[in-house]
Amino acid sequence: MATLNWRTINVDALDPDSPANFDLSSLTPAVAPASTADVQSLAGQIRQLLRGGDSEGALQGALESAPYGADERGKEIHLATVIEILQSIRQSDMSPILSRIYSSPGGTEALDVLMKYIYKGMSQTQTSSTTRNLTPQATGFSQVHARGGGEGGGQAMSVLLSWHEKLVEIAGPGSIVRVMTDRRTV
Amino acid sequence: MAAPEVHHLFHHAIADHSFSADRQTLAVTRDNVIDLYQRSGKTFQLKDELTGHDKTVTGVDIAPNSGKIVTCSQDRNAYVWEPSPQGWKPTLVLLRINRAATCVRWAPSETKFAVGSGARLIPVCYFEEEDNWWVSKHVKKPIRSTITTVAWHPNSVLLAAGSTDGHARVFSSFIKGVDARPEPSAWGERLPFNTVCGEFLNNTAGWIHSVAFSPSGNALAFAAHDSSLTVVYPSAPEQPPRAVISISTQLLPFMSLVWSSEDEIIAAGYNCEAYRFQGSDGGWQLAGSLEAKSRPGLSDQREESALNMFRNMDLKGKTSDDTKLKTVHQNTINTIRSFQESGGKVTKISSSGVDGRVVVWNV
Repeated sequence: MATLNWRTINVDALDPDSPANFDLSSLTPAVAPASTADVQSLAGQIRQLLRGGDSEGALQGALESAPYGADERGKEIHLATVIEILQSIRQSDMSPILSRIYSSPGGTEALDVLMKYIYKGMSQTQTSSTTRNLTPQATGFSQVHARGGGEGGGQAMSVLLSWHEKLVEIAGPGSIVRVMTDRRTV
Repeated sequence: MAAPEVHHLFHHAIADHSFSADRQTLAVTRDNVIDLYQRSGKTFQLKDELTGHDKTVTGVDIAPNSGKIVTCSQDRNAYVWEPSPQGWKPTLVLLRINRAATCVRWAPSETKFAVGSGARLIPVCYFEEEDNWWVSKHVKKPIRSTITTVAWHPNSVLLAAGSTDGHARVFSSFIKGVDARPEPSAWGERLPFNTVCGEFLNNTAGWIHSVAFSPSGNALAFAAHDSSLTVVYPSAPEQPPRAVISISTQLLPFMSLVWSSEDEIIAAGYNCEAYRFQGSDGGWQLAGSLEAKSRPGLSDQREESALNMFRNMDLKGKTSDDTKLKTVHQNTINTIRSFQESGGKVTKISSSGVDGRVVVWNV
């Protein structure tokens, strides 16, 4: 008789009614696919704006064109772009920029997207060489293996935390709830 | 606008409440019992207690005509309580579910009721005369996750359900021998049991807290955890809907909603206050809060006398009491229901919440 460790059998896989056998794609809203090349060229355009000194326009542009349909690589490129913009804005300019975006058409959604990037940024403030071994969860949040990520991460984290504070002041605690709910991950 | 009528019943969360048709009896859930309150003058007096469930009661509904009460609980059971000379007599319902029951609602015909459950199915229960027993038939496909809310169409055949898989669905719950054949509507013409008449997802696919049909039954509204409210207008059977309007708000999510007329919805939830939405198939918008901004009762801005100030500093270590919310409800509102209707419009609604209050509002 074959020796079989019954405890290791994935019983869910054998049960046709089990949630493990669901096609999870039907649970997510339809998103337009975006290729990594598109994201890269977009990042180039946004950096152009940033270099031109229009950090507000760059931020708004980056938030409105969040590549939900891109693969992990594409999403990482866009995250890096957004973080770069956030780090280039002075602390005293944060609130005015946020309130201007908030009152512009579609601005409330843009701020919800910003909140997503802040949380995603916080989950990977290690140097990019170590982000490789993070395992992204189905929810879009990465498992936090080590917080802060040493000296380089500490500074990025403090920038993100001050953005988070200013953002909650303007968009309210509902924006945090919406990040957790949204199945369109960045 | 008259001030809302506030009844602070106890210090427990109220998962669900229901008034009898004459609005003299109020049933509220309290842990694993259901308290029955009787109106006496301006207040409600505890009159009876329905005990039988051994876990938290999640839903209660009083049938307006027959007066029967249906309750469901996390113990996976539902009971139908009937008045008798010896008090309320419970009858166990065979739900056949292996997870908690989450919500329950009588169909307008009062011959059946639907129970939402964590077992990814909806038992639709009806009374079988021969066996003298409430039995259930399961609406199963294509539910992927816990059912958090159910709502009936006025024709008692169509059933809307919201789920944590982010979908609001419309099913047929036609049971031969119990239901009359329904009039064809925009939702469907032939409606055998478990027909899926519509399946809707909002932009973010957030999980659903509440669903409701409009008074005519020709529109469906649902509220999701992304603080949005979505209204769906179906066009014809098997066709994509005529309009799907999603209003995303900057508030906290809504837990419950009720149509006050064809063009107005009241929704309330984690913001502890009720909001009014107005619109039609052309578009919807948030039209403000039901809460009057300067209420005489609660705005307690008492003259800050020196005595008061020093007393507060002595008792509480601070001069003003900042532990109170400015809203009537002091915590999340779980359920809102229509309380009074006239001329096809809801004129009063009742709300209950985590703070143990039941409030009757003028709309």
